[in-house]
Amino acid sequence: MKKIFKLIFVVFIFTFFIFTTKSAEAAGLTAGEIVDKANLAYYYGGSDGRAEMKMTITDSRGRERIREMVMLRKDLTDGGEQKFYVFFKNPPDVNGMVFMVLKRPGGTDDRWLYIPAVDLVKRVASKDKRSSFAGSHFTYEDVSGRDTSADTHELLGLEKLGVRDVYLIKNTPKNPDLVEFSFFKVWIDKENFLPLKGEYFDKKGNLQKTVTVDEVEVIDGIASVLKGKVAEVGRGSTVVEFKNIRYNLGFKDKIFTERSLRKPPRKWLK
Amino acid sequence: MTKKSKKLFLSILICIFFTLPLTPKNLVANELGGFFEGAGAFKFGNEKAVKNNYNFLETRFQLKANYFPEFLEDNEGELFFKGEVLGDGYDERVYAYIRESNISMVIYDLIDLKMGRQILTWGTGDLLFINDQFPKDYISFFIGRGTEYLKVPSDALKISYWSKYFAIDLVGTLFEPNKSLNGERLSFYNPFTGEIEGSSMSLNYERPSSNPKNIESSLRLSRTFGSVEGALYFFSGFYKDPVGVLNPISMSLFYPRMNSYGFSLRGPFLGGIANFEAGFLESRDDINGENPLITNSEVRYLIGIEEDLGGDTKLGLQFYVEQMLSYGKYENGVPLGAEKRDEFRSLLTLRLSKFFLAQTLHAGFILFYGLNEDDLYFRPRVSYNFTDNFKLSLGANIFDGANDHTNFGQLQGNNNLFLGARYSF
Repeated sequence: MKKIFKLIFVVFIFTFFIFTTKSAEAAGLTAGEIVDKANLAYYYGGSDGRAEMKMTITDSRGRERIREMVMLRKDLTDGGEQKFYVFFKNPPDVNGMVFMVLKRPGGTDDRWLYIPAVDLVKRVASKDKRSSFAGSHFTYEDVSGRDTSADTHELLGLEKLGVRDVYLIKNTPKNPDLVEFSFFKVWIDKENFLPLKGEYFDKKGNLQKTVTVDEVEVIDGIASVLKGKVAEVGRGSTVVEFKNIRYNLGFKDKIFTERSLRKPPRKWLK
Repeated sequence: MTKKSKKLFLSILICIFFTLPLTPKNLVANELGGFFEGAGAFKFGNEKAVKNNYNFLETRFQLKANYFPEFLEDNEGELFFKGEVLGDGYDERVYAYIRESNISMVIYDLIDLKMGRQILTWGTGDLLFINDQFPKDYISFFIGRGTEYLKVPSDALKISYWSKYFAIDLVGTLFEPNKSLNGERLSFYNPFTGEIEGSSMSLNYERPSSNPKNIESSLRLSRTFGSVEGALYFFSGFYKDPVGVLNPISMSLFYPRMNSYGFSLRGPFLGGIANFEAGFLESRDDINGENPLITNSEVRYLIGIEEDLGGDTKLGLQFYVEQMLSYGKYENGVPLGAEKRDEFRSLLTLRLSKFFLAQTLHAGFILFYGLNEDDLYFRPRVSYNFTDNFKLSLGANIFDGANDHTNFGQLQGNNNLFLGARYSF
């Protein structure tokens, strides 16, 4: 019995020690560093990845629309340039359309759209990153990530969100003319740095939009979002679900070229 | 529906019905889709020459199927089929045809092959084509069918080589002409009579024979320079419009031989996407412009920009020029009293489009304005997705021009209002 107590004591001390070091480490993080880590955790898991994405868009009158797509991603540098390949499966009238992005944080993205019915590869002007992605309540920036250097960050404190310990950070855009919000708050998981909740406030300071992460699972050692939701005050909501998430698949660069717009890489879309 | 068309429709249905259970299990498509559509266009111009008071009135069923055969898995093999059954109220007939039917695969990771009937598009213009010599159906576009019907399928073999630095596409196609104005559904200017006519009976068209040496070849060399895409184009084949006169007495036209050489650039500019494209079209049956019965060689230029104005609003502008070569010889060859075109013919286009209601409502227009010929074409269109499957669209084709012989001037009076309802699955 004594031995067991001793063991529990040692384990307890040990765990305590690990946690204190961890939080001591974390205590040293600035708001900017936390936001950068959150950006990496949410948008840069692994060196590449694929997921099936389903969005259920509900408008203010309760009408539902479904968007289903497969998303392939490759990171060129962690926190830097990324390539996205999005193959639309549903609704039927956009089946086979492909949307491809070369994301340049701090710069202008390159975007392409492929329309199979006319075999057309189109370049898409992409100045407005705050417009809706595929008619959902998510913006392009919500889907591919907002440039962290576009905002100033302020650590408002440590909180508890459900059972999770989180950092609460306020982000204020450096150029307010480019966005429809005045600032947004984000709750970032202290352990895995996933942003678990975001609240966007309009120019008058009223709550405009809430983004939440509702289900997380560790896949290939990477904490991954399985379900999330964005709700706009008085304007309905979009629920997003991810399926068959896989990381570090060794995507070749050729997947993210005109070649696979015209001939989709079916192997990765199944 | 006439008796004959009913019969045809029935026989198609019966064929489908009986072949379905016979299809081996592994031949069942991996993906199926398509739509049912009812659509029509009603004339509101003063045109009287064409037979009906509507340009088209039809029901359409489209079925597309993908199949990924196991034995071609290593080659990313894919079979694709897109077929349509069309109940055409204008022709009072039922048509069944294959729009696409092809096999595509990857060889040695470097080469993509696509063989069979396919839609082919390249180049940078918005509804203006310089180096894209693949066939188009302008009649469908001008009467208000869906934009996808602007492209006519080609029976082709396409071989694409993709290296890290550049790509080569080589396409061999069997000749397929444009569906250009001929009096079918829309009236047109008959250069022989100098009249606006509304029947396709008056002119005769002589197509190149389906001889292997008449296979057309198209080549594109492309690469990117950072964000800018550059391409070189080469084409050897025939004009897709009947721009040669075979016999003025019998009013016979033909499709002269043509080579084209061109290039294009496309990339970010002033916060939008700019494109520049040029091409030299060499009229091979009349290289020096000596023959007044065959079109002269031309140089074509296009410059365009698309801007994202924010709030799901897009603006597009294009300036397009056709320059006729050996113009002096052309001028001398124009018969007395006949209409003469300018050496430089330019066109401006303006496109504005916007999404509303969470991108379920789309409204926009494109305007073509001929600077030399003082003619215009205006095409507004609104579409609304009631559900993910059901879409309603409404639009108009409006033509105007000072003269009967110009591109859009000949179409004045053919103004129409089109609408369609489509259920996709």
